[in-house]
Amino acid sequence: MAEREDIHGCIVHKELHYSVEDHTWVRPNDDGTVTVGMTDIAQGLAGPILHARIKKVGTVRKKGRPIATVESSKWVGPVKLPVDGTIAVVNETVASDPQVINRSPYTKGWLVRIQPDNLDEDLAQMVTGQAAVDAYRERIETEGLTCAHVADFED
Amino acid sequence: MEDPEGKKILVIQTHGVQTPTRTYSPLFYAMAAAAMEMEVMVWFTMDGTNQLRKGAAEKVQLDPTSHVTLKTMLEMAMDSDVELTVCQQSLTLWDMTQSDLIDGVGIMGATSIIDLSLSADHVMYF
Repeated sequence: MAEREDIHGCIVHKELHYSVEDHTWVRPNDDGTVTVGMTDIAQGLAGPILHARIKKVGTVRKKGRPIATVESSKWVGPVKLPVDGTIAVVNETVASDPQVINRSPYTKGWLVRIQPDNLDEDLAQMVTGQAAVDAYRERIETEGLTCAHVADFED
Repeated sequence: MEDPEGKKILVIQTHGVQTPTRTYSPLFYAMAAAAMEMEVMVWFTMDGTNQLRKGAAEKVQLDPTSHVTLKTMLEMAMDSDVELTVCQQSLTLWDMTQSDLIDGVGIMGATSIIDLSLSADHVMYF
């Protein structure tokens, strides 16, 4: 079980790397790829997700560019890639069951696996561990954010 | 499905604060297109113009339990890189000038809308 922190009801997994500004996370994998998803805070801000449209495998992206468009009844917006790279795998479950992002933002609700171009450099610009917890605590408390969870929330 | 990235969408909004339920959706669609990395402009004309008057959009709230107002929607659209532009002639019709407009809104004349329509990949009219 990953070490996690509950910040005013918002869950942060300490082993992940975060782009706090864009509410995305990165998990480095043994095969050199990284898995990317939306944070608990992101899913809470969006509310129940109705549609998620992810870019195709093979799409080359610079960090900061969208890899997906996510929409709920009250919000629509991009999910921005926190690293440079190429989409290697898309989580097909998300297309048919977009609320998997609400239920399991850090595990089953991942969006893509990326073959990164400059991972060390990109990870250095993200936060992880206690630094991530501290950064999120500041943002959550400053902005008064809350994380609504669906009944079968897993993380 | 073809990737719409880079395509141009022009959204024409002719409805304003008198018809609140016709104000949110065009902005929502515009934000969706922007999230899909399309170039998006919302063109306000006719009654659509009056929602851009300072202090007007804050009073339009579809869901009273939500903090989101039409002003919030306009700001979210601009934050999403949606370009908001108002018709010069409609502005005159509503006895408004640039100083009456919320920040961030451009002004263009009638010939511009023709040029924009011809150069857009798709026009959505509301």
